[in-house]
Order: sequence, then structure tokens, then C-alpha cells
Amino acid sequence: MSQLELRGIRKTYPGIAEETLKGIDIDIASGEFLILVGPSGCGKSTLLNTIAGLESITDGAIVLDGQDISTMEPKDRDIAMVFQSYALYPTMTVRENIAFGLKIRGLPKADIDREVARVADLLQISHLLDKKPSQLSGGQQQRVAMGRALARRPRIYLFDEPLSNLDAKLRVEMRTEIKKLHQRLGTTIVYVTHDQIEAMTLADRIAVLKDGELQQLGTPKEVYDTPANLFVAGFMGSPAMSFVPVTVARGERGPEAEVRGEDGRSLTLPLPDYLADRVGQRVILGIRPEHITQPQAQKQDSRLVATGAFTIEVTEPTGPDVIALIHLNDTPVHCRIDPEHPVTWGESAELMFDMKKVVFFDPETEQRIAPH
Amino acid sequence: MTERSHSGLRPSRIAIHAVLILAALVYLIPLFIMLITSFKTPMDIRTGNLMALPSEWTTLGWSKAWSEACTGVQCDGIRGYFWNSFKMTVPAVLISTLLGAFNGYVLSKWKFRGSDLFFGMLLFGCFVPFQVVLLPMAATLGKLGLANTTSGLVLVHVVYGVAFTTLFFRNYYVAIPDALVKAARLDGAGFFTIFFRILLPMSTPIFMVSLIWQFTQIWNDFLFGVVFASGDSQPITVALNNLVNTSTGVKEYNVDMAAAMIAALPTLVVYIVAGKYFIRGLTAGSIKG
Amino acid sequence: MEHIQHTPARVAKAPTRLLDGLQRWLPKLVVAPTFVLVGIGIYAFMIWTGVLSFTSSSFLPVYDFVGFDQYAKLMDNDRWLTASVNLGIFGGLFILCCLVIGVVLAIFLDQKIRQEGALRTIYLYPMALSMIVTGTVWKWILNPSLGLEKLMHDWGWSSFSFDWLVNSDMAIYTIVIAAVWQASGFVMALFLAGLRGVDSAIIRAARVDGASLPRIYWSIILPSLRPVFFSAVMVLAHIAIKSFDLVMAMTAGGPGYSTDLPAVFMYTHSFTRGQMGLGSASAMLMLGAILALLVPYLYSELRGKRHD
Ligand SMILES: Nc1ncnc2c1ncn2[C@@H]1O[C@H](COP(=O)(O)OP(=O)(O)O)[C@@H](O)[C@H]1O
Ligand SMILES: [Mg+2]
Repeated sequence: MSQLELRGIRKTYPGIAEETLKGIDIDIASGEFLILVGPSGCGKSTLLNTIAGLESITDGAIVLDGQDISTMEPKDRDIAMVFQSYALYPTMTVRENIAFGLKIRGLPKADIDREVARVADLLQISHLLDKKPSQLSGGQQQRVAMGRALARRPRIYLFDEPLSNLDAKLRVEMRTEIKKLHQRLGTTIVYVTHDQIEAMTLADRIAVLKDGELQQLGTPKEVYDTPANLFVAGFMGSPAMSFVPVTVARGERGPEAEVRGEDGRSLTLPLPDYLADRVGQRVILGIRPEHITQPQAQKQDSRLVATGAFTIEVTEPTGPDVIALIHLNDTPVHCRIDPEHPVTWGESAELMFDMKKVVFFDPETEQRIAPH
Repeated sequence: MTERSHSGLRPSRIAIHAVLILAALVYLIPLFIMLITSFKTPMDIRTGNLMALPSEWTTLGWSKAWSEACTGVQCDGIRGYFWNSFKMTVPAVLISTLLGAFNGYVLSKWKFRGSDLFFGMLLFGCFVPFQVVLLPMAATLGKLGLANTTSGLVLVHVVYGVAFTTLFFRNYYVAIPDALVKAARLDGAGFFTIFFRILLPMSTPIFMVSLIWQFTQIWNDFLFGVVFASGDSQPITVALNNLVNTSTGVKEYNVDMAAAMIAALPTLVVYIVAGKYFIRGLTAGSIKG
Repeated sequence: MEHIQHTPARVAKAPTRLLDGLQRWLPKLVVAPTFVLVGIGIYAFMIWTGVLSFTSSSFLPVYDFVGFDQYAKLMDNDRWLTASVNLGIFGGLFILCCLVIGVVLAIFLDQKIRQEGALRTIYLYPMALSMIVTGTVWKWILNPSLGLEKLMHDWGWSSFSFDWLVNSDMAIYTIVIAAVWQASGFVMALFLAGLRGVDSAIIRAARVDGASLPRIYWSIILPSLRPVFFSAVMVLAHIAIKSFDLVMAMTAGGPGYSTDLPAVFMYTHSFTRGQMGLGSASAMLMLGAILALLVPYLYSELRGKRHD
């Protein structure tokens, strides 16, 4: 188990004007499962490649177990990587694929055989060992790719969107499998995905990247409940958080803000006390679908709960919930409603706003307004 | 509706078949004429016509072409030149293909600053008319002591073939995911290990394309042969041309045709055996004339 | 429960710096021979020929600068003029015939013909032959006394006469015939590959719209094959400009110099008539002609790529 520090990693590809990584600082504890998320092209793969040594860095340092490995050749870093395309050697059997790295490192044949057997057993691919990659299904190829990484017992595992080529059902299955493996082996893992459900379910900590800059680093709960800025808030969660511009006003029992529905009816929403010093200013209210529901009696005694009627514009049943669309202050807003509580599009429905977990952003800086 | 369009198509389908078969005949007839003429006696040629089968089949033309016919001043057939062509073609094909494979590997998987520019230079080299390098090349071969030698011709064919082989291999390797190379590097493999253990085993088709393309090109070359070789080192194409255009004595068309067949056989055999790869090379390397 | 431990047999962490340094240089080292060969064999030699074209070199190179004298001489040279005109006739007809024949054969072959494989093999085999072989055969077929003419007489068409091969006005057309025979199958292969790349859904959609098959080919499929068309023209033009073997085998430029092409002119003057300067100038003009074709072609190729 190894501990990895990324210190101010910068990367500029030759011939490309913009910096791809703009100073990334992350400490990854031994045995930690760190997930990198971010939109396509934000530099996730680049960061992974620099850790592996497949790309050089322009500035900064990569420190593994206290040793600076920034200029080391990939083969000397003792890091394994699983690729989105699996990158299995097509002309080799599964066994040869798994054994390749060991063979090159000059391990005795008996050790190699033992190691291949162990890994195959661990991943339940023993019956596939003599097949060629092209004879395997996507899920099986994925397992072999992981097996190849596991066989080397490297200090760190890197995963670059390993599940995104699988169909939905298999993806969920493999996700569980990877989680189990990590819990069982206690390995240090850096895992890239653009799927935020994968990020939420697998990670010890999540690092959110955008345009080569680290936006937030924290546990899944921190990132979800207290996103650092508008970007992180909008990126994590599905359906996404809605952003409603409001003006903070002074109410009788604390700060409040008025929102207007499509039909002109309005509702006064109670705001948390820490917004008291923003009275008269505009802020962006970030509200997740699960914070707008059908009225629930047991929650309504709080100061931070309000109920009002709004016109439902679209309903999308997902099974466990119905996602309904309304407009607040001319901004589309999603609500999550119990299917037992039918709402019809085009009609008005009574909705409950639970303001306890709602977050607020400064419209200028786009940063979250922290409670103080 | 479907019925009607089917019956309506029938006459036009017959016409299409007729045109295709007629065209096939046009393409085949010269080969047919070449073949039957080569088995005729000179007498037969004078009395019969192009399409008439030999009244008496004889291999006289073939044996004369092989070992007695005059190519210029010498009269010991084209057999020596036939072997010259092999001695020139085999090493040139192997060297240029090997160089091309390594170049293609570097230019697709180990790019460096300037490697794209280098590839552009190579590409442009495919288009240059060879006339523009003939004089300096002749002078240089002379300085190197390689004028009028088979080694000199090998060198020339390598220099002007490597751009094509590089193009073949580069385009083939570009389509192979980079992740494969990355995975191998993390597995501890170096430059040559990755090439020999990972890429080479998947390169059989492109090797075939390159080998066959180069073989046909080099075997069939006339320009370099006529400019850079003389006398005993000439390749078969030059010898054939000399034989056919030697104006001494009576024209023996059966010998001409037999010699042409001998010159054509190696590439024809390759085409029949591995035509698939030849066509792929043709379309891939179609920039070469 | 297993716990990952570092394999003891892991090899030494720091192989010598020298080896790593070598690894880093390997890619460049590997392409270096080609770089040298091509750098000299194509680029330096091209410049060298350019230099020669500005000298009065005859049998041996002399490096006296005479300006554009050789080019001026070339423009006044009847033989060069004939060669250039011939190239126009030969190139134009050759390209046109190959395109028409190639496109027609490709479209016909694309109609789910059962013997497609065999037919394709037949159409394309001339490409595997040396131009010298092609020239030798056609020279025999077109032989004015024993060839085609005699065949027609034997078959009862006694007034048929065909002496193009020795007729200085017509000999260039015999070269066209042989060249088209050799290269039209290749154009067929290019277009057939292009046709196979056309999305068949487009054809089905057009049929649903009620368009007839010839119409679909003319107004939908062929226009979509423009890139194939351009590369075919490019290749054929390239073959035409470099054509040398075929002429040497069939007519050696004769009768007189009526079938001279620039490539033949260049060869004759540089290597048998000892006019190196003039030969170089003609080679440079050939290069210019190819560049004139190549630059717009590459430009449109690159621009097309960027739109993807
Ligand atoms: N080898 C490369 N050369 C130049 N630019 C690259 C290279 N690889 C990636 N990039 C650029 O760097 C940016 C980040 O790419 P990448 O790390 O692959 O993003 P992600 O994995 O987050 O989708 C992109 O804009 C991409 O175009
Ligand atoms: Mg990526």
C-alpha cells in the first residue's frame, strides 16, 4: 500500500497553447480510493498518464511513498493502469496477457504461474485463460484487463474510465466487484470516470476537475451536499441541481426570498440565518430535486420549510419517483415527487420546499456562500 | 411492385453481364495472344494470325528466350537478367519493408518533435517524379563505386521505396490504439519489446501488402534499371526491352512473347496467389504511379 | 483475506541512466537512416538537379551559372514542344478513358454480380505487369503487317488497315490504348471501394422516394464519390507525367520523335545525348507540373480533413 502526493502538477502538450493541467495538488492516502471526475477533455486522462509516467509533466512533482518519481520511466514506477479500451494484447491469450508484465520483469516461471492462477481465481476468469481477447465478451475483457493490473501487485492502481464501454447492467455489477476488490485488498486506487454515480458509490474521496483545474476535493457527501461552486454543484447529481436567482429580503423570522411561478403566483421561501448579512443582494439558490416534494406532514414544523402551489409543466416517471418540472423566477426547476402522490402536467400542484440542505452561491464569484 | 421492377430489370441485367464479360475478354486477350504466340513456330506466326492457335505447339521460343536470344550484343538469353532481377528485388524488398515497419512504428507510436514534419517529407517524396533525381543519383552511385552494380540498384530501390513502405506501416499502426503501447510500457516493455512482442504479431496483413507491393514495383521497374545498370547487371525489364528492340536479324515474335511471359510470370504468380494484398497496396499506395 | 505485498523478485529499481537515455533516443535513432536516405536521395538531389538546370553541363556536370538559358533552349526545342503536346494528348485521353471505363465497370460490378471476384481479378491483373511487358505485347498486337490488320483480313475484312504504330500522327494513340488497358482496372478498383463505402441506407431512402437506379447513381452516389474521383485523377496524372517505360517499349519515342514524352526527352538528353543541363531543366519542369497538380490536391485534402 502506497501513498501518493501530487504537488502542483502542470502539463502543457507541445504545440498546444493552453495548459492542460494547471497546477493540481492532491494527497492520496495509502489504501484510499480516489475518484477523478470532470467533463470530457478536462484533463483526467492526462493527469493519470502523468502519474503513470506515460506523459511528462511541465512543472510540479509526483511523490510516491516519499520518493519523487516525476522523471522516472513508467516501467520503474511500479504503477498499473486499466484502460477504457482494456488494451488487451490481441495476439496473446488471457494467460499471456496477465503474465506479460511478470515475464518482462524476469520472474521465474513457477512464480508467474502461481500469480496468474491467483489473479484468475480472484476475478473468476480461470476458465478463460487459454482464450484470445477477441473471443471474450466485453465484461470478460474488462476482468482480464483488471487481472493484468492485479498480477503485478503494483504500488498504485490507475483506472481510466474502466467501465464506460460496458452496458448499463454489467457496469453496475462490475462497480460492485471493484468496490469489493478494493475493500478486500486495500489497494491505493486513482480512478477516472465521468459517471457521477460511479464516483458517488465508489470513492473515498472525489476530486472534481474542470479545464485542468481542481474544483473540489472531498468525500462524496461533502461534494454532494456542500459543493464548492456552481460548476461542482451542477456536475454532481442527476437530475442536476437547479439554480434560481433570488434577492434576499428581511422577513419576520429571518432572511427570506420570493420566487414566482410560471402563472405569476409567488411563494416566500425561508432562507437560513447565515444569509442575514446579504439582505438586499442577489444570490443564486441551488436546490436539488429531492428538496422539492409533495407536502410531508412530519417535516413541516421547521422554520425552513415552505409550501406553495405551482404549475407542473412536464412529468417524467422514473419508477421510484416522478421528476416534475416547474419554473421559478423563469428558471426551470426539477422536483422529485412520490408516485403515490399523483401530479398531472398542466395542472397546479401543492409542493413542499425543504430549505435545510439548499445551498447558495455568490453570482459574481460563483463560489458557495459558506455558513459562518 | 417488386415483381414488376424485377422483370423490368431483366434485360438491363443481361446488358450489364454482356458488358462485363466483353470487358473481361478485352483484358484477357492480350495475355492469351502473348501465350499462344510464345508457343508458335516463326512459320506459324507468318502464316497464321493473332488469334489462331498454334498449328504445332513448340517451346522453342521459350528455350531460346531463356538461354540464346540476343539482348543487344550478347546472345545468351534473358536467364542471367532474370536472376539479376531476383538478386536485386529480394534484398531491396526486405530492406525497404523492414525500414518501413520501424519508421511506421516510430511515426505512429513514438512521435517526437518534428516527426510529423518528417512524415510530411516522406509523403512528398512519394509524389516526386524520379527524373528529378536521376542525374545526381547516377553521379553519387559512381562516386560510391556502385554504378552498374546490383547493390547500387538495391540501394536506389530502398531509397525510393521506403517512403511507401513507411506510409503503409504508419497508416496501419495509427489505427492500433495507443493504449496498447501504454499498457505495454507500464508492463515494463521497452521500444523493441513492444514492437516485436505486441505490434509485430498483429502486422501480418500489412507486411504482406508491403512485401507484395514492393516486389511488384521493384521487379517491374525499368527506369532505374536502364539508367543505373548496364551490361551484366541489368534487370529483366531492361533485357526484355533490349531483346524486343534489337533490330539485328529476323524478328522472332515467339521469342519476344516468351521473354515477355518470363518477365511477367513472377509478378503474375504473386498477383494470383496474393491478389487481395496487392489490391490493398494499390489503393493504399495509390499515390505512386 | 489477502494482502498485497511487494513481490520480492521485483527487479532493481534504477537501471543505469545510460540505458534509459538510450531508450529515449531510440525512436530517433531508428528513423535516422531513412531520414538521411530520403534527405539526400530526394531533397538534396532535387536541389542538385535544380542547380544543374542553371548550368551549361553537357556530358559532365560543370558549375557555371548560365541563368535560364537551358529553360529558354527548352522552350525553343521542337522536340520538347512535341513531348509537351504529346503529354497533353496522352494524359488527357488516358485519364478520360480510364475514368469512364473504370466508373462504368465499377458501377456494373456493384450490381450484385455473382462472378464479381473473378471479374475483378481479370480487370486488375494488367496492373501487376511491367509496362515493358505491356508495351511488348501491344507492340505485337498492333504490328502493322502481322498483327490486328492481318487478323481482320483473315476474318474477312480485307479493306481493314491499321498502321498507327508506324504512323507519326497516330502512334501516340497506340500508347494511350496500351496505357488504358493497363490502368483502367485500377480505377475500377478505386471506385468499387468507394461505392462499397456509400451508405446503403441512402440508396434505399432514394428508392423509397421513387428515384430510378441510374438516376440514383448519377445524382446521389457519383457526386458523393468526388474524393475518389480526385485521387484517381491525381494518380493517373502522376502516371502520365512519369510515363516512360511504355513509350520505350512500344515506339522508343518514334517514328522520329513523334511519341516523345517529357520523361523520354529527359532520359534521352541526359543519358544518351549528353545534354545534362537541358535534361535537368526538363526534369525541373516535370516536377513543376506535378507540384501544380499536387498543391491544390493536398490543399483540398487537408481542408476536407479539417471539416470532419
Ligand atoms: N497527446 C496529446 N497531445 C495534445 N493534446 C492532447 C493530448 N492528449 C490530450 N490532449 C488534450 O488535452 C485535453 C485533455 O485531454 P484528456 O486528458 O484526454 O481529457 P479527459 O480524459 O478528461 O477527457 C484535451 O483538450 C485534449 O485535446
Ligand atoms: Mg479520458
